[in-house]
Amino acid sequence: MEEIRIEREADIVAVRQRVRELTKEYRFDQFEVAALTTAASELSRNVWVHAQRGIARIVVLHNGKKVGLELEFVDHGPGIADLNRALAGGFSTSKSLGLGLSGTKRLVDEFDIDTEVGRGTKIVVRKWKKEF
Amino acid sequence: MHGKQPDYMEILKLDDDELKRRLAFFELKDEDFKRLTELKSFAERCTNDITEGLYKLIMEQPDSRVFFPDQATLNRVKKLQNTYFLGLFSGTYDINYVRDRLRVGMTHERIGMPPKLYLGAYRRYLALIHERLLDHFKGKTDEAFKALESIRKIIFFDMALAIDTYIAAYLETMTRHQAAIRELSTPVIKVHDRILLLPIVGTVDTQRAHQIMETVLVQVVEQQAKVMILDIAGVPVVDTKVADHILKTTAAVQLLGSQTILTGISASVARTVVQLGVEITRMHTRAKLSEGIDLALSIVGKKVVSSGEGA
Amino acid sequence: MPSGAIPILKLGSTLLATIQIDLHDTVVDSFQNDVLEEIERTGSNGLIIDISALETVDSYVARMLANTGKMAKLMGTDTVIVGMRPAVAATLVRMGYYMEGIETALSLEEGLQLHANRLKQLHPPE
Repeated sequence: MEEIRIEREADIVAVRQRVRELTKEYRFDQFEVAALTTAASELSRNVWVHAQRGIARIVVLHNGKKVGLELEFVDHGPGIADLNRALAGGFSTSKSLGLGLSGTKRLVDEFDIDTEVGRGTKIVVRKWKKEF
Repeated sequence: MHGKQPDYMEILKLDDDELKRRLAFFELKDEDFKRLTELKSFAERCTNDITEGLYKLIMEQPDSRVFFPDQATLNRVKKLQNTYFLGLFSGTYDINYVRDRLRVGMTHERIGMPPKLYLGAYRRYLALIHERLLDHFKGKTDEAFKALESIRKIIFFDMALAIDTYIAAYLETMTRHQAAIRELSTPVIKVHDRILLLPIVGTVDTQRAHQIMETVLVQVVEQQAKVMILDIAGVPVVDTKVADHILKTTAAVQLLGSQTILTGISASVARTVVQLGVEITRMHTRAKLSEGIDLALSIVGKKVVSSGEGA
Repeated sequence: MPSGAIPILKLGSTLLATIQIDLHDTVVDSFQNDVLEEIERTGSNGLIIDISALETVDSYVARMLANTGKMAKLMGTDTVIVGMRPAVAATLVRMGYYMEGIETALSLEEGLQLHANRLKQLHPPE
């Protein structure tokens, strides 16, 4: 398990690059690499934009024959008030409202979110490598 | 890639961490390494005997005998077996040791020796070593037992690697087969300069739809195709999900800077697509493939002209 | 002259910007500045942004590209994005981001051709 602090905008790039390195090391294909690096980028940026600080955790998963990557993003920011809207919505283009959660959700196999206004947000996503 | 040997270390993810984990699970500790090193002279003394004992069994059984058709092969292999045996007592069990053992397994797998023979041979090996160890320690049964335990640990460690090579080989085969199946089920055809055609035949589930999009996009870029014709006449059911997949693919092709022409559209498909209410005005569609090809040609500035010859 | 980390070249009446680095706030700001200053300085009416080196295009980058296009358009310059990678296109579409209003082309050649065609339409030869 690796941890990367998100405190500056440059950390978004750090998280993205680490995810890229791992996905290539474990031979995910180019589309899976793009999905994971993009999801990592989106979720890191959310942390930075809305909470200014947080942590990204990266875990390589081994489930018998399957290999996967788990990304966790934790912050103690404002939390998301209307989660259903955030998850249902079409792609937001506004910089301040841009959560892009619904889009990111479609890039991964598993998506768990735990959020409370005033407490913060924790998002865990997982993507499994195509077997053959 | 012709003739390139797959890297089993990579496929099995055998790095220093994995090595540490394995040594731990097989309970191979420093005292075992020490004991094994101390037994080196014992090993050198009885290696020939043990090899002979092993191959006596191998040559007695018809299943295993076939792998050693002539004396020259047998002699060569016996020499290698001695080297292998002595390797067990080398004292150094690092990543190079692992690589070396994998190579041994690979050789056996490549010649087609089934695991049952491989493991049966290991069993014989242990029995032969056991005999000689009791002899070597002459009554000091406690020490003999400890030595046997250490040897058993390293042999089981080796066996695990041997089995892994078989698994790695099958995984590699499966990967190649799957790649071939994917290619065959998504045959992108170049019908003309910068015009590609993909006839989609059969049911399209989510996984196949993903794969179709990916193949289409890669081909469009690789071939620098200005037009991609997707013919769906061979798709039995086009429900809203399938239609959505097709539309996503055309949208992605558009993002690359190319155009898609959808052909083979039946009446029911036309209904479904409109019911989805997505941007279909951006997409070219035709009922027949031939019409799609005509349109594609005109997009790239060409057309089919009658030459006046033929029937 | 462009001062930022993203090189901008002049090709006839078109500007070519090649993005090869990771994008973040300060880089984006100076890039957009440079583009607009170059349009003004050179009088170009076409802008091509080459993203063939970008392996990841998230919503931030997509927005940046769209905004740059809009800024250039205000100054009378049309933008074409070229060289998008297959995995990038797939990811954007899967997220639901269709990048409406942005023109794209397969390659630099195609992009230049688009500009040339547009110029011909606007100023048909006598």
